[in-house]
Amino acid sequence: MAKLLLYLTLATSLIPLFSVAFSPENPTDRRVLVLVDDFAIKSSHSLYFGSLTSRGFQLEFKLADDPNIGLQRYGQYLYDALVLFCPSVERFGGSIDVASIVDFVDSGHDLIVAADSNASDLIREVATECGVDFDEDPAAMVIDHINYAVSNFDGDHTLIASDDFIKADVILGSKKIEAPVLFQGIGHSLNPANSLVLKVLSASSSAYSANPKSKLSNPPSLTGSAISLVSVVQARNNARILITGSLSMFSNRFFRSGVQKAGSSIKHEKSGNEQFLTEISKWVFHERGHLKAVNVRHHKVGESDEPAIYRINDDLEYSVEIYEWSGTSWEPYVSDDVQVQFYMMSPYVLKTLSTDQKGHYSAEFKVPDVYGVFQFKVEYQRLGYTSLSLSKQIPVRPYRHNEYERFLPAAYPYYGSAFSMMAGFFIFTIVHLYSK
Amino acid sequence: MARSTGKDAQALFHSLRSAYAATPTTLKIIDLYVGFAVFTALIQVVYMAIVGSFPFNSFLSGVLSCVGTAVLAVCLRIQVNKDNKEFKDLPPERAFADFVLCNLVLHLVIMNFLG
Amino acid sequence: MAAAAKAGEATLRHAFGNVLSFFILLLIGVLAFSIRLFSVIKYESVIHEFDPYFNYRVTQFLTKNGIYDFWNWFDDRTWYPLGRVIGGTVYPGLTLTAGTIWWLLNSLNIPLSVETVCVFTAPIFSAFASWATYLLTKEVKGAGAGLTAAALLAMVPSYISRSVAGSYDNEAVAIFALIITFYLYIKTLNTGSLFYATLNAIAYFYMVCSWGGYTFIINLIPMHVLLCIVTGRYSSRLYIAYAPLVVLGTLLAALVPVVGFNAVMTSEHFASFLVFIILHVVALVYYIKGILSPKMFKVAVTLVVSVGLVVCCAVIAILVALVASSPTKGWSGRSLSLLDPTYASKYIPIIASVSEHQPPTWPSYFMDINVLAFLVPAGIIACFLPLSDASSFVVLYIVTSVYFSGVMVRLMLVFAPAACIMSGIALSQAFDVFTRSIKFQLLRILGFSEADAGDGSSANVVPENDAVKVDKSEETIKERPSRKNKKKEKEQMEKAQAEKTSAKSKTEKRLLVLPMELSVIGLLLLVFMGAFYVVHCVWAAAEAYSAPSIVLTSYTHEGLHVFDDFREAYAWLRHNTEVDDKVASWWDYGYQTTAMANRTVIVDNNTWNNTHIATVGTAMSSPEKAAWEIFNSLDVKYVLVVFGGLVGYPSDDINKFLWMVRIGGGVFPHIKEPDYLRDGQYRIDSQATPTMLNCLMYKLSYYRFVETDGKGFDRVRRTEIGKKYFKLTHFEEVFTTHHWMVRIYKLKPSKNRIRGKMKKSKSRTSTPSSKRSGSRKKNPWQ
Repeated sequence: MAKLLLYLTLATSLIPLFSVAFSPENPTDRRVLVLVDDFAIKSSHSLYFGSLTSRGFQLEFKLADDPNIGLQRYGQYLYDALVLFCPSVERFGGSIDVASIVDFVDSGHDLIVAADSNASDLIREVATECGVDFDEDPAAMVIDHINYAVSNFDGDHTLIASDDFIKADVILGSKKIEAPVLFQGIGHSLNPANSLVLKVLSASSSAYSANPKSKLSNPPSLTGSAISLVSVVQARNNARILITGSLSMFSNRFFRSGVQKAGSSIKHEKSGNEQFLTEISKWVFHERGHLKAVNVRHHKVGESDEPAIYRINDDLEYSVEIYEWSGTSWEPYVSDDVQVQFYMMSPYVLKTLSTDQKGHYSAEFKVPDVYGVFQFKVEYQRLGYTSLSLSKQIPVRPYRHNEYERFLPAAYPYYGSAFSMMAGFFIFTIVHLYSK
Repeated sequence: MARSTGKDAQALFHSLRSAYAATPTTLKIIDLYVGFAVFTALIQVVYMAIVGSFPFNSFLSGVLSCVGTAVLAVCLRIQVNKDNKEFKDLPPERAFADFVLCNLVLHLVIMNFLG
Repeated sequence: MAAAAKAGEATLRHAFGNVLSFFILLLIGVLAFSIRLFSVIKYESVIHEFDPYFNYRVTQFLTKNGIYDFWNWFDDRTWYPLGRVIGGTVYPGLTLTAGTIWWLLNSLNIPLSVETVCVFTAPIFSAFASWATYLLTKEVKGAGAGLTAAALLAMVPSYISRSVAGSYDNEAVAIFALIITFYLYIKTLNTGSLFYATLNAIAYFYMVCSWGGYTFIINLIPMHVLLCIVTGRYSSRLYIAYAPLVVLGTLLAALVPVVGFNAVMTSEHFASFLVFIILHVVALVYYIKGILSPKMFKVAVTLVVSVGLVVCCAVIAILVALVASSPTKGWSGRSLSLLDPTYASKYIPIIASVSEHQPPTWPSYFMDINVLAFLVPAGIIACFLPLSDASSFVVLYIVTSVYFSGVMVRLMLVFAPAACIMSGIALSQAFDVFTRSIKFQLLRILGFSEADAGDGSSANVVPENDAVKVDKSEETIKERPSRKNKKKEKEQMEKAQAEKTSAKSKTEKRLLVLPMELSVIGLLLLVFMGAFYVVHCVWAAAEAYSAPSIVLTSYTHEGLHVFDDFREAYAWLRHNTEVDDKVASWWDYGYQTTAMANRTVIVDNNTWNNTHIATVGTAMSSPEKAAWEIFNSLDVKYVLVVFGGLVGYPSDDINKFLWMVRIGGGVFPHIKEPDYLRDGQYRIDSQATPTMLNCLMYKLSYYRFVETDGKGFDRVRRTEIGKKYFKLTHFEEVFTTHHWMVRIYKLKPSKNRIRGKMKKSKSRTSTPSSKRSGSRKKNPWQ
């Protein structure tokens, strides 16, 4: 009895904990584990971490090879997101390894990976699992002799100022980033066939990836704008991953420094790093661009119940509600390009849903003249937004035998003849019986 | 050749006519009934040829009701005809009762198939 | 006085004969019913095979929802995603019959379940069929032949094979409908009564409702009418028998939704219309001949011939053009494959692949009709002496059914009643001759007078009919009296007995000169032959034809071993998958899956859509990734394969695989049969082609097979398999039954992340777990 009481109190006390955690109703991550090589990063990147904590995240800093770290205990994940600022770690401590990180992502959690010029094989493997390939040469860095950032000392042009952003307001925010972003580190490339990764910040066409200290013996493998400096991955279960090859991009030094692109006379007081990274981490932690679709309903025009089967040439209405998470609450999502398909091996009807600006989308159409088992399919994939993939199965039957037109005007002569035959038969029997 | 066939045809026609006039009235009534049914069938076929066969089931049921009536009437005629040696001990009432039954079934089916 | 006494005796013997016939018929019915119960006794009261499960499911729907919903039923759990309009594609006779029986029994408060009614419908209707055979043969030859034929039909193995208790298929009812239709036709032909013509049309309607083989009737009867006309046996009874049948029959056939307008538009029915027209022309000719003088008739003939020839040619040309120009409404594929046995294998692999559609082997004739095989020719000869309309019909029936049974083994079933009728006639004639000669010899030995000899000869009803027939054949063949005249004839017979008996006994003396010993031995031999027939039939019913293919048994040294894997797999599916999950398998198992597992299937035994089946066949013949794509586009969740390699079950999917390749290759040309054969031979061992070793069917059948005995020895193909150790990348095994006969796999959802190109440094499996929270299924290749 006492034990029961104990368990009850324990359970009830844990409930608020769960409600604060990451859940479909509240998609923003809360508890973030930050793995660092050494705790100096905590202070050298304090501006970035400060921006996170000011938005309500609970950061927990641990050394990458701390033997006590673990992502989950007894089947429950302890954190909602993982930040790997440990490019040189050879082996994670505790129960973390590449497989557990991959499982962490596959169970819907977010990840930020920052490599650097001393990136270990482990970090490179984590990035490959996410779909991004760092340059295989371990000593290579991104060098750009035309778009480098002007600095006080003669650099080897590894400090790059890049403003080749992806054009997506949902990822980078609605405010334009005026200043270029400072980057110093390794570059990575994306598989063009991979539809899940996006290049957010790419190098200019004059960049290449090579070892800055040695002479080039053969042409570098990664050149031009194929090099991606910052990429994001949105997995099929809408987990978001940010991968970049420069840890120093997050540092206070880069945040505060001014930037001047070589060859241009504009000198910006502050680099775009802070704005860029703040906005993009908002996107990675689902504060922006996270959609949910609820309340899918369909019914015949004029009725309100959802029927189990439609008939061909029926008029029906389909409606769905789509909301976007604003970081604190669900706001109605307004767009004019959400489409619904009435699909059976190929779409028979494709209609754009009209919205009432409050998140309610609906469309009316006529069931096609083909019977079969159809699906209401909404496939909505937009750059930077979570993918919506709704499908609801509904059979469509042909006409019943008594749903046709009762009397066809073209057939009146036939009706007439049939009845005249009956009348003739009747008269004939009378005549035949009563004639002598 | 043609003239002889012409004269033959005329002679044939006359003899047919005279032979037919000798048939009893009951049979003539049945023949009239058959003629009416066949005539109605022909009208329907012409109508279908003009308009097209859209309600094909109505067309079929209309035509087959006429053809069926004709066939059944011919059967009745065969059975009622006193010259027919095979049926001389079939009472005409029995023949007529069978005829009525068959027509009932026919018209029931026609009504079902018509619409 | 003596005549009255003799008449009284005769009626008493009549009554006794009738009562005896009644009891014999009852016993025949019981025999027919009980010989089909072996499978219920040996196994259980379960529905067999594949097609009956579909019929059972339809009957369940009918009993639950009533006839209007059944008539309009749109089935969305089969042929996903096309669905199937059941009301318009099924022959409703069987289900309506069983439904009516169930409803009747339930309204009498006898609560039999639908399954019980379905299982026992076939034996009940086989009892009815043997009674119908009695009636038919009685019309042709007489009551004795009728009883013999009925007894033979009750036991003939060919009919048993398709109508055991549990074989709930169309033929169970259709054979009864066939025989009854023929009986009513012959009855109409013999009596000329319109009443029987109406009944004939209604029986034909029942046949159309029940089976696609009704085209046999609607082509055989016109053939017979034509034969009668050509051999000069036209009579007005022929007209009454045929013309109302065509009109009413076509109308009634068009009422059945499956047939619909095919009743007037397909070539299978044109013969009946053509003969209808010919019959009318002939009737008109005879009528005119009757009312004109012979000279005028000759004139008419010459006139008509000269004019009519031109018209005839024109009409025939139009007809031929009509038939030839309607490509879809010509002969259906199945009918064409009946006429040209090689047609199906060239053009329609699906029809060719069904084992029931193969030509039968010679031994199967002996297995299926046994002793009747050599009684049939004797029966044919007996039908010719004397030849009547009815016996010419039966001869035509047997000749055509012999041809068709030689084309397709399934049609042995149509041949069986004909064989029974003929053998019944032959046996009864033989018995007749023997018993009469014995009686005659006995009477001669015991020295009775000739008058009594005539008496003795009129004792049996059967020989009297024969004698009457012999007499009548001396007069005119055409003026065959109706049944009612028989009584009058008998009275006349007894009046003029004196003169007739002497003539008769003379003819008898001329015909029956068989010595006593010979006839006794002959009788005994016939009885022995009958006994052998009975023993064979009972053996065939018990051993060969009573296996419900859903449960298999084998005798090991430990006793009876039961393989219930199919039901195990369907039960697993039923309990462990969602209601809306789709299951893909080869079409053989479609009906059983929908009926027993209650899951949506992609293709089933109805095989109406070749492209859909070819899609599944292509998926089974493709490598894993391509197969995954195809199945994913059809929303399939589970794939089911049947594998007999562990226990030696020979009808598994690997043995049927080449048909999958052929059917798939017929629609998708990138699947080529030679890719799967090594030097023209189909192998799965180490010499098999790489395409074969990589295809989905191979992988799903032999996944982890090497774990059973370490070597992967396939007991059906009798060789070790080629590729033993492999992993599945796009499928995962979810269930394998106890004897590995049915294996169920699930499609893996597409990967959550797409990996980069760099090679992994350590080897570890990166397959994500299948139960992922919030993972969505999205096809990356669309």
